[in-house]
Amino acid sequence: MANHTPAVVMDNGTGYSKLGFAGNDSPSFVFPTAIATKGPTGGAGGSGSGRPAVANKPTFLTGGAGGHLSGKRGTEDLDFFIGDEALTAASGPGYGLHYPIRHGQIENWDHMERFWSNSMFKYLRVEPEDHHFLLTEPPLNPPENRENTAEIMFESFNCAGLYIAVQAVLALAASWTSSKVQDRSLTGTVIDSGEGVTHVIPVAEGYVIGSSIKSIPIAGRDITYFVQSMLRDRGEPDSSLKTAERIKEEHCYVSPDIVKEFARFDREPADRFKAFDARQPGGRTVTVDVGYERFLAPEIFFNPEIYSSDFLTPLPNIVDTTIQTSPIDVRRGLYKNIVLSGGSTLYKDFGRRLQRDIRHLVDERIKLSEAKAGNAAKSGGLDVQVITHKRQRHGPWFGGSLLGQTPEFKSYCHTKAEYEEIGPSIVRRFALLGGPGSS
Amino acid sequence: MPAYHSIFLDEPNQQLIGNFALLPLRTRTRGPAQTLPALPADISELDVDPSSESYDPLDEVLSLFRANTFFRNFEIKGPADRVLIYGILFVSEALSKIRPGMSRREAEKSVFNVSLDTNFAIPGDAGFPLNQAYEPPRDRNEAEALRQYIMQMRQELAVRLLNRVYADPSGQPSKWWLSFQKRKFMGKQL
Repeated sequence: MANHTPAVVMDNGTGYSKLGFAGNDSPSFVFPTAIATKGPTGGAGGSGSGRPAVANKPTFLTGGAGGHLSGKRGTEDLDFFIGDEALTAASGPGYGLHYPIRHGQIENWDHMERFWSNSMFKYLRVEPEDHHFLLTEPPLNPPENRENTAEIMFESFNCAGLYIAVQAVLALAASWTSSKVQDRSLTGTVIDSGEGVTHVIPVAEGYVIGSSIKSIPIAGRDITYFVQSMLRDRGEPDSSLKTAERIKEEHCYVSPDIVKEFARFDREPADRFKAFDARQPGGRTVTVDVGYERFLAPEIFFNPEIYSSDFLTPLPNIVDTTIQTSPIDVRRGLYKNIVLSGGSTLYKDFGRRLQRDIRHLVDERIKLSEAKAGNAAKSGGLDVQVITHKRQRHGPWFGGSLLGQTPEFKSYCHTKAEYEEIGPSIVRRFALLGGPGSS
Repeated sequence: MPAYHSIFLDEPNQQLIGNFALLPLRTRTRGPAQTLPALPADISELDVDPSSESYDPLDEVLSLFRANTFFRNFEIKGPADRVLIYGILFVSEALSKIRPGMSRREAEKSVFNVSLDTNFAIPGDAGFPLNQAYEPPRDRNEAEALRQYIMQMRQELAVRLLNRVYADPSGQPSKWWLSFQKRKFMGKQL
């Protein structure tokens, strides 16, 4: 049975979870990774149901006293909601809202288990024993977390097979849909910018170069705040976060040069200034004018100084340092394949500006070292290419969908039988999916 | 990419007082500045090309003002940058005199009040906010010339700023310009 059903691809991120089936174009469900349980919003423990926090740790650490869903709970444990329903439930009385994933890593295993069970049975409506599962993890996820995941997947859900892939590697695979990519290599630099944080992750032949990963405290939420502050400076009739977010999504773009862009707004005001109709609570609609924030908000990636006073390094410089600290023999490949992923990389011309700025830094350095060598040797130049493609928004999920539909995917998975034979440690290693030798 | 610098940094034969450059201006107010030719009739103040012979540091101040006020750090690379800084700080001050809803006549009154006031601090005076970066003039003659030059800058900038803020035919000040009232370039104000 499991050989004929499509694999289930689940990409659980800090903010949103993306669920769907391998081979599809887009995820079937995208909703917040949130769970609402009976009782107040608890601290770190798994005490959402009012019992002592035991299930926070996997069974092998608590000597089997903690539990998975099986047997140990009464029906009150089934009283919970996930995703958008959780947000609705938590806005009323009686329910507390929890986010089981923090900084990309699962923090509350009890909540995560229940989140998964609802994902499978209520949303995707699949029988886990009939499907293989492709899950994602952030770079530098500890192997213990993989083991916990496997324990839940195999013992609670009895799933047919499991593969855990690194998000950055899947994002690289997703870029294969771009016409600019000729060789389907798994070497490249992934720029993953979501709501909370932006990561720059170098990947060589499918393996993450952990020591060179850099992250930047500027991402989608900061852009929203910046738009909001500009609306407030002007005294617009509505400057709620919601309005700022919508303006960010609908009107923002990256400009080649901000001074020239200001001049362009002066010359063609009718074309550049926009208006946004904001609906206020109570049903009234007010018109908010949209101006310079259109290009200034995404500019904070390239000029963080205009937004923050403690973080000042522009994104292109971060990417350059990341690649320069990677092993020398992969740097060419890393410069040639810079892949964007995540919602905050979707601004128009984001890739073009990034490519121009990085190329500028690289050319500068080459010129400098040529001059140091007394112009005796000429460099052949370095190819810098930023890949923009149509699947950026859900990059890791789409990469998973792409790899999960290949005929050999199932042979790369660990099966329930193997798990029972060897134990949870089996998931510490996976053969490289989509690497050399596979189609 | 940090804040924008003046393109007049490499201008040859700059006349200096202290380390402030007296660059030629396109103005009809009287003073020590060399006068640049007036704009040709078919070019408006809004889009003077930097390569034009009439392009002066004040055009530059107004075009860089909105971008540079976002920056708190600025590395001074030469005398022309000091002209730029002073200009931007003065534009901030003049802008703060305009209230939303003011007619052009009222705004002119309160802005010219500031720009025509002869009692302002020049580099070297105790009240000047940037004395760390500006050298004082050597003697009283130089101080007088510098005061005259800055006076010319202030008057011309006030006129040109009002043209931009009241570019809209409705007679209302542009809210896009007024939104820059609270921003302080380098965290300073005159």
